[in-house]
Amino acid sequence: MTDQAELESLRAEVRAWMEANAPRGWRDASRTQEDFVATQRAWFAKLVEGGYAIPHWPAGYPGGGRSLAEQKVIYEELARVDAPRLLLSFVSTYHAFATLHECASPEQKARYMPRILEGETWCQGFSEPGAGSDLAALKCKAVREVRDGKEVYVVNGQKIWSTMAQFADMCLLLVRTSSDGPKQAGITYLLMDMKSPGVTVSPIHQIQGDEEFAEIFLDNVVIPVEQRVGEEGKGWAVAQATLASERGLTLMELAYRMRGALSRVTELIRDNGLDNDAGVLRDLGSLVTQVDATCAIADQFLDNRIKGIERVGDASIVKNSYSRALRAYSLLGVRLGGMAEQYVKPITFGDLNTGNWMADFMNSYAWTIAGGSEEVQRNIIAERMLDMPREPKGWTL
Amino acid sequence: MIELNELQDAATKAFPADKLIPERDAAWALAAEMGWLMIRLPEELGGLGLGRDASTTIHFEMGRVLSSAPLIPAQLGLHAILESQTLTGREDWLERIASGEYVPLHMLPTKLETSADGAVSGTVSGVFEGDMATAVIAYLPGGYTLVPTDAPGVSLVERPIWDKSRRLFDLVLDGFRPDPALVLADAEGSRAIHDAIAPEAHIAVAADCLGGANAALDMSVEYMKMRKQFDRPIAMFQALKHRAADCKIGIVPAEALLWSRTANEAATPLELGALKTLAAEVYQAVTEEAIQFHGGIGLTDEHQIHLFMKRAMLNLQLCGSPDLWKERLGRAALAA
Repeated sequence: MTDQAELESLRAEVRAWMEANAPRGWRDASRTQEDFVATQRAWFAKLVEGGYAIPHWPAGYPGGGRSLAEQKVIYEELARVDAPRLLLSFVSTYHAFATLHECASPEQKARYMPRILEGETWCQGFSEPGAGSDLAALKCKAVREVRDGKEVYVVNGQKIWSTMAQFADMCLLLVRTSSDGPKQAGITYLLMDMKSPGVTVSPIHQIQGDEEFAEIFLDNVVIPVEQRVGEEGKGWAVAQATLASERGLTLMELAYRMRGALSRVTELIRDNGLDNDAGVLRDLGSLVTQVDATCAIADQFLDNRIKGIERVGDASIVKNSYSRALRAYSLLGVRLGGMAEQYVKPITFGDLNTGNWMADFMNSYAWTIAGGSEEVQRNIIAERMLDMPREPKGWTL
Repeated sequence: MIELNELQDAATKAFPADKLIPERDAAWALAAEMGWLMIRLPEELGGLGLGRDASTTIHFEMGRVLSSAPLIPAQLGLHAILESQTLTGREDWLERIASGEYVPLHMLPTKLETSADGAVSGTVSGVFEGDMATAVIAYLPGGYTLVPTDAPGVSLVERPIWDKSRRLFDLVLDGFRPDPALVLADAEGSRAIHDAIAPEAHIAVAADCLGGANAALDMSVEYMKMRKQFDRPIAMFQALKHRAADCKIGIVPAEALLWSRTANEAATPLELGALKTLAAEVYQAVTEEAIQFHGGIGLTDEHQIHLFMKRAMLNLQLCGSPDLWKERLGRAALAA
């Protein structure tokens, strides 16, 4: 148990380091995706060097072994200096790490973990065009064969919504190795080198002009059996470790960042001379409280995790609370900005509350659709928190 | 030191969730017996000396059962007496309150006139459970003053309200002569008392709202699990599940804000006004849905769900309107 004084001393240490090292003007340096990627790589390397990149990893890794309370301090300080969020390395340091840490063989850990710290980036190959909310319906097919005397999987299929797959070195890949029995039972978890022959990445042009997501096409891609995590057909359980890797820090950080970015709304109100419009003031007042409540629930969620009293569905509440506040935030900006917001402005990569209101609004969908849509979250809340019955299964066309 | 969860357990045992609007005088006597009337009074003055998280816990639980015992006006009355520098016989009043006398603080606007000879006439509207009050602390032209309900020139008239869980009275003054010994503060000091107590009122009403919102959602979910149409419980329909989830998504962050601001002694009056506004709007939204969830039965007097909606609507109007608080909050954010 870390006591309060130790946490405050850590805070002072982190704050001093952040103030000396956090990049300024990174938004201006992130006008193209290539520049954004370069900024992200440099910041990640800097954080690794400072010992703040992977506080959630176990002791033994540089900067690892921090308690959740300590991690919270680090994230609060990251938000405070408005440092770039670690987007490019998010999948590698959270999803890949959790998967390897909890489910991989010692050889796999020794091989991949150090490479993540050296800046190797990963992407997630889970969703498919026909398997979104119903992820277990995935079809990407892997057949086990012997090639050149080695056991391998030969994979064919398509993955979609892979965040920044075009920049990834490795991929967490879910494939179907069997079609017998329950759909979850035929899923296997593989680690794929993105440079393997037969892998084609095609960025998706998004509505805000961004290319954050990509499709991955797999055409007879050969993956050695040694790159399987867990047993064949047991990939669904491994995938749960991947998906549960994020411990609530991200939403707390984002909620605090949104609170900091309320100044963009107040600037807009002043710039447009709406300071004395009672209706506008009330909308701003509502938003302030909505954001404050989101910060409060994100905080409470994390505190409950630290105390080990998290309940099923809590994470869904936090996520929906955040996504709704983000939507309200960006929509208010779009409305108050008037005609000016209907002209295209250059976008800033890697930021949610940019004051480019139409882009912010469109970006807010990432939180109501990705990572378990708002509708799926509401089912979880209704069925698992409120104990409302599931719909009967077995409907066929 | 009493732990909060012990306090909560005691409250839910004394006031079980399935018994809404417990009989007022019995509930009041029980609350007095459990020390809740004195929960915030410092120990050296004979109280329990607990913090505002304790009173918030009680108001939350009383909101859950739509308690008719007026613990919030009583607690505010106690705070006002504690804040007073000039009241004669303050200890006597504290003792009388400890023994179960009801001395509410009235915080809504009043319309009063003082004649040349100092007699006050007019109406103090909106005194909760005025019939059980021995005295009402009202904002008279000379400042907050204890108005004994049996004094000459004082009468109480009940005004029927939609909320069936509480009763409101007009305190009618007709040539009432305030006793200088019963003045809590002059006009200026009274404004200071008002500002010191308003945050307590906001937290208490917010707790009442969120206790009630939780209970109304619980009752609705139970109903939807029991009610069958199209050969299945209607709780199975996703259209209803999602709306029930929306209610929960409204309640839980508001509750997190309630507890964090209750614990934060540095929370500003504005932040607490914002908290009350959010809590009351959540209560209103949840109870509005709750009646719809119940369908036709929700429109009958026989079913109890409407009781929550009516309490929510009244709560929305207490402590300043939502529009007022939002505008203030917006103005403050702009000035920051």
